[in-house]
Amino acid sequence: MRPDRVLLIDDEADFLEILSERMRSRGLEVRCATSGAQALRIAETETFDAAVLDLAMPGLDGLETLRRLHEVQPDLQVMILSGRATVKTAVEAIQLGAIDIFEKPTDVETLVERIRAARARRLAEGDRATQGQIDEILKTRGW
Amino acid sequence: MNAPSGSPKLQREGLRFFGQIAAGLSHELSNVLNIINELAGLQQDIAGAATDDARGAQAGRITDLAGRIRAQIERAEGLNRRLHAFAHTIDSAAVAFDLADLLDLLEALAARAARLGQVELRIHRPTTPITLQGDPFALLLSLYAMIELGLAAAASERRLSLDAEPASGGARVTLESADPLPPLEEPGSVAPALEMGRAAWGATITSDGGRETETVVLSLPAIAPTHRSENDAPREGSHET
Repeated sequence: MRPDRVLLIDDEADFLEILSERMRSRGLEVRCATSGAQALRIAETETFDAAVLDLAMPGLDGLETLRRLHEVQPDLQVMILSGRATVKTAVEAIQLGAIDIFEKPTDVETLVERIRAARARRLAEGDRATQGQIDEILKTRGW
Repeated sequence: MNAPSGSPKLQREGLRFFGQIAAGLSHELSNVLNIINELAGLQQDIAGAATDDARGAQAGRITDLAGRIRAQIERAEGLNRRLHAFAHTIDSAAVAFDLADLLDLLEALAARAARLGQVELRIHRPTTPITLQGDPFALLLSLYAMIELGLAAAASERRLSLDAEPASGGARVTLESADPLPPLEEPGSVAPALEMGRAAWGATITSDGGRETETVVLSLPAIAPTHRSENDAPREGSHET
């Protein structure tokens, strides 16, 4: 089975470097982006089971990045990992499809566990979508 | 520190600026702490991988040090959260907030002064939610001034408690001191900070003594009068950091 693939997005390069090393040592395949724009470029050519996204970033902020990531990969499971998410921002993030909100600092084991669960969830959603398409074909073709 | 000078609008803008910069610095500090936290975690990971070899003892020491680094990070994070919350109290002069949240912040901010003054300070959250609308910074200023009053008067007993309860649609906040408090009836006896906050909230201050404890009571309306028209709306540039 291939390793879980995660895209880490945070404008703090040092933070990304260390967190990605810790995640790799736990068997994850990790790609890093230091801006929302870079994350979108990566997401256009590679698929991920999950993305871990900071909110306060220069340029495209976390919420806008989240919205655009879902345009590129609608089934991407996005988790917010932020320093100070307000209730308002957290609600907006959930409305935009984020599955989890974590406040820094977060235990890496918890994060990895949630990424693994996110992959299972993504696969289940994919199965449901495929089943829906099959049902639709069976109905319209009258087989 | 000298009192800020200039018009009320300038003072308010100055505070807004102060809050914005403090919140930004707090955010940056948080970023640094997060990196140190991950470094400590990585150190633990490396030490954990080395426990089976001959360097197990050193690995144990590294793990121990990493744990101590983490404990200090948690402490710094707690302080930083308070700084951040304090910086944001200046964001709006007319906002709805839960009094219990403000009292939590007050307790955190006043803890150091109480500790340095060797005074036992207890701040109790109200048992039911109390929503107030107005300037949280002005109220924080008043409540802190009440505590300072008690700290300055601390003598043999050195015990203070602050309680809040719903009253007349608003709230009543009571500071109780085991030591005698100065009479508030005398002109100029109310600290300027307490008076400014009282005026901003249209609140009343009363005191009562002569029993085993002495009290100062701040009675607040649910909605503060909006007499600072240029500042009533959420301020431009209110920051989310």
